[in-house]
Amino acid sequence: MRVLARGWLSSNNILLADAGSATLIDSGYLAHVPQTLALVAHALADTGASTLTRLVNTHCHSDHMGGNAALQRRYGCHTSVPAGEAPLIERWDEDALLLTYADQRAERFRIDATLAAGDRLHMGGIDWVALAAPGHDMHALMFHAPNERILISGDALWEDGFGVLFPQLFGREGTFADTRRTLDAIAGLDLNIVIPGHGDPFTSVDAALERAYSRLHAFEEDPGRLARHAARVMVTFSLLERQRLPIASLPNYVEDTGILRDLNRRYFAMQPQQFADWLLHELERTRAVKRDGGDLVPLVAA
Amino acid sequence: MSDTSTPPATGTGVASPCIDVCRINADSGYCEGCYRTVMEIACWTRYTDEQKRGVLDLLPERRQGA
Repeated sequence: MRVLARGWLSSNNILLADAGSATLIDSGYLAHVPQTLALVAHALADTGASTLTRLVNTHCHSDHMGGNAALQRRYGCHTSVPAGEAPLIERWDEDALLLTYADQRAERFRIDATLAAGDRLHMGGIDWVALAAPGHDMHALMFHAPNERILISGDALWEDGFGVLFPQLFGREGTFADTRRTLDAIAGLDLNIVIPGHGDPFTSVDAALERAYSRLHAFEEDPGRLARHAARVMVTFSLLERQRLPIASLPNYVEDTGILRDLNRRYFAMQPQQFADWLLHELERTRAVKRDGGDLVPLVAA
Repeated sequence: MSDTSTPPATGTGVASPCIDVCRINADSGYCEGCYRTVMEIACWTRYTDEQKRGVLDLLPERRQGA
């Protein structure tokens, strides 16, 4: 197993190689494809694998699937996505996939198979079982190796947090309960190590779960909190790709970017300029951005 | 990205220098964001803290193009 630790714009990529095959779990962001290809080539050579035979996604957000098409072109790898994501990928729904809708980009790719909770996979000489991980994404999967006590958690659990609970923001009532159940499922596993979608692999699973439950509770207690968090995260993510954004363009940006426009309509009800000012203040307060001349630039992610 | 109003995790090792630029410069062989090589990025999670710090120590000179 080789964990290719990336950043926030690209998810981590996990290579699992054995005598018969090499599988990559999640492929990073579109803009980082050349580096993803270089890292995967290095890891394949390092493990003695001749090619990438299989590609699997924990879920189909842009930061996890952006390299799929390029990897397919290079390796012809068999590609599986969670079953619930397949219809969105097959019709390439730029809204539901949070692509154009969220000022993000990905390249359309071919699906060869789907995966469901309970499916068993043999990857990297290890037996894995897929677990449902609804919350951040309704159809997301995690991969658990019971014998080795490893969990590949995607964005369901990081060392400090979890992915934005988008379904809740779009009106899906059971999202907090889903998220809690997913955390409970992780808590019920005997684990040595968690390999998250972002951040380093970690062994202090109880502490990570405690922080996650605490964040979930804070979101449950204050309906606006999740919306404020999401707005900050979305702009920060876009800024990581753009690398700079003129401050003067923010009011147009928040109106033109569907998810920000909809968050504003639903939770903030501010005029675009007001919303832009609020976002700027919040992003500076949380040290996500700094000003460089008339531009916003990202600060190093914490 | 964290919701920064809750307490952060306690330090658990050496932080990655990745700043999400993630573009290898063909001439230098270094990433244009973090100045690590492909090998250093690929092997990062397998490095000890001491090895990671060793890589971080090399970066300032690489940034200056020495």
